[in-house]
Amino acid sequence: MNAEKTASTRQAASDAILELARADPKVVMVSADSVKAARATKFAETFPDRLFEVGIAEQTAVAFAAGLASCGYKPFVMTYANFITMRACEQVRNYAGYTHLGVKLVGLNGGLHGGEREGVTHQSVEDLAILRAIPGMEIVVPADAGQVGKATRAIVDRPGPGYIRVGSGREPVLCADDEPFVFDKLRVMRQNGRDATIFAVGPVLRNVLQAAEALNAEGVGVTVVDLHTLKPLDRDGILAQIAAAKVVITVEDHNVIGGLGSAVAEVMAEEACAKPLARLGLQETFGVSGEGNALLDAFGMSAENIAGAVKRLLGRVRP
Amino acid sequence: MNAVDQEARIARLKSVAAELRKNTLTLIHKAGDGHPGPALSIADLVTALYFDEMRIDPKQPKWEDRDRFLLSKGHACTVLYAALAKLGFFPESLLPSFRSLGSILQGHPVMDKIPGVDMTTGTLGHGLSVGAGMAVAGRLGKKDYRVYVIVGDGEANEGIVWEGAQVAGNMRLANLTAFLDLNNFQSGGAINEVSGINRIPVADKFRAFGWNTLDIDGHDYKQILGAIAAAKNETAAPTMIVAHTIKGKGVPFMENNNVWHKGVPNAEQLAEAVKALEAA
Repeated sequence: MNAEKTASTRQAASDAILELARADPKVVMVSADSVKAARATKFAETFPDRLFEVGIAEQTAVAFAAGLASCGYKPFVMTYANFITMRACEQVRNYAGYTHLGVKLVGLNGGLHGGEREGVTHQSVEDLAILRAIPGMEIVVPADAGQVGKATRAIVDRPGPGYIRVGSGREPVLCADDEPFVFDKLRVMRQNGRDATIFAVGPVLRNVLQAAEALNAEGVGVTVVDLHTLKPLDRDGILAQIAAAKVVITVEDHNVIGGLGSAVAEVMAEEACAKPLARLGLQETFGVSGEGNALLDAFGMSAENIAGAVKRLLGRVRP
Repeated sequence: MNAVDQEARIARLKSVAAELRKNTLTLIHKAGDGHPGPALSIADLVTALYFDEMRIDPKQPKWEDRDRFLLSKGHACTVLYAALAKLGFFPESLLPSFRSLGSILQGHPVMDKIPGVDMTTGTLGHGLSVGAGMAVAGRLGKKDYRVYVIVGDGEANEGIVWEGAQVAGNMRLANLTAFLDLNNFQSGGAINEVSGINRIPVADKFRAFGWNTLDIDGHDYKQILGAIAAAKNETAAPTMIVAHTIKGKGVPFMENNNVWHKGVPNAEQLAEAVKALEAA
């Protein structure tokens, strides 16, 4: 394969926050010694009085942001996704969730791909499940850096708490620059759904698109859906994209329990949509250290794995 | 203020506090649930703040220039609810609905349900960290409001208390004033038997984190009001006022008796408590 174009989702989020801050004096950042990791040095230089450094104290970062939000500010807390959703889980639930305050969380190192060589302690593969269980928490997993920027602009003025998952800074570019991002409406990336519909989020969409291409070449019609907004969930959109397909596949760089696959399965079950479903992602296992794309391959999310899952399911439904 | 005025001021506050204590115990009795001991120990601090010091307007609970109050030890909320009701944030007739289905008066304070509550609390430890966020918001917006927090002594076992202490001290948040309600008991017993939180005095610990600290009798209004005034004069650090208090203060059979950390007085006990509070 040719050298692939990549762009940093971290940088994209920070750039968007800086741009928002230039236009709105209420936009501020809270750092848990995460300025460097968040690629927010420029924000810190441009708005030193609007960058609050609490040190390596994620629980306080979230609680402190709630205090700011209660006084009318629009705080972004940007640090490792694990530390936001696990170390500070209680603060996210009670002080951002239950208060309905506009605390915006940007989680770095989403998935194995985002946490990559850091290993399990820094790979966030439960964040989506944890946050989905918090009432009112809006959750977005943008496909690539361009989409991250647009998603950041889309959530800043929403009244309640929100979460954007980003990666390591080495994410594949999957969308054209002018590709729109519409909050809470899924985005169809390839529409050819007479056989299979694949739902996915984040950088793993790269592998999904490759699988779809290979399958299409073999005459298998595949629709690829970027289900970037996991809450609120575009239920009608999901059902519409499933309608023509024989089988449904979900692919997420996350534990298969509680994330994208669960969300789609819940909709299908509740709407009596009796089609075969396979959920690809982490299956009752922790990750390991490694290069991002290699990890996706090693944990069952390669283009070959995805295409194989589609064919397996189709084999099941063919007479 | 001259001595006569000061005396009248304090007499008024004592009378308000006695009423808040009575209302606290009455509402716990009627609701059948609550934490009387921890509420009674902070009744004088809450009275001094809400009935003497804080810039608030019950008609505008969300007024952006108001002083903020965070009851970090949220389980003591009955006395806060009694104070807010007396001030007119909501009708006093709601007090007995505490902790019952359909009531706005949740088991712990909730900001968007209860008029006058500035921040949701209940899970211990968060007042200083959230309060620091409110304090920097005031500084950034060039507002002159102040932020007040009451932290429990047992609560100071929580790690996030010390994160908040570190951050507020480092940021020199002089517009943040906290009280540590040192009543010497936590849920499981005496603090120095359960957790040892005050074996090295907590005031020393906060001083080490960059705070201005004061030690006062948390039931002596002259000292409480003096400490609040001193905190307002401090310009380079947040102030921690370590308030030496008595758990269950004002009701002899509850004082220093940790059975009343959580408990409900029966009709007879309530009558005895009210009698003691009225006689004081």
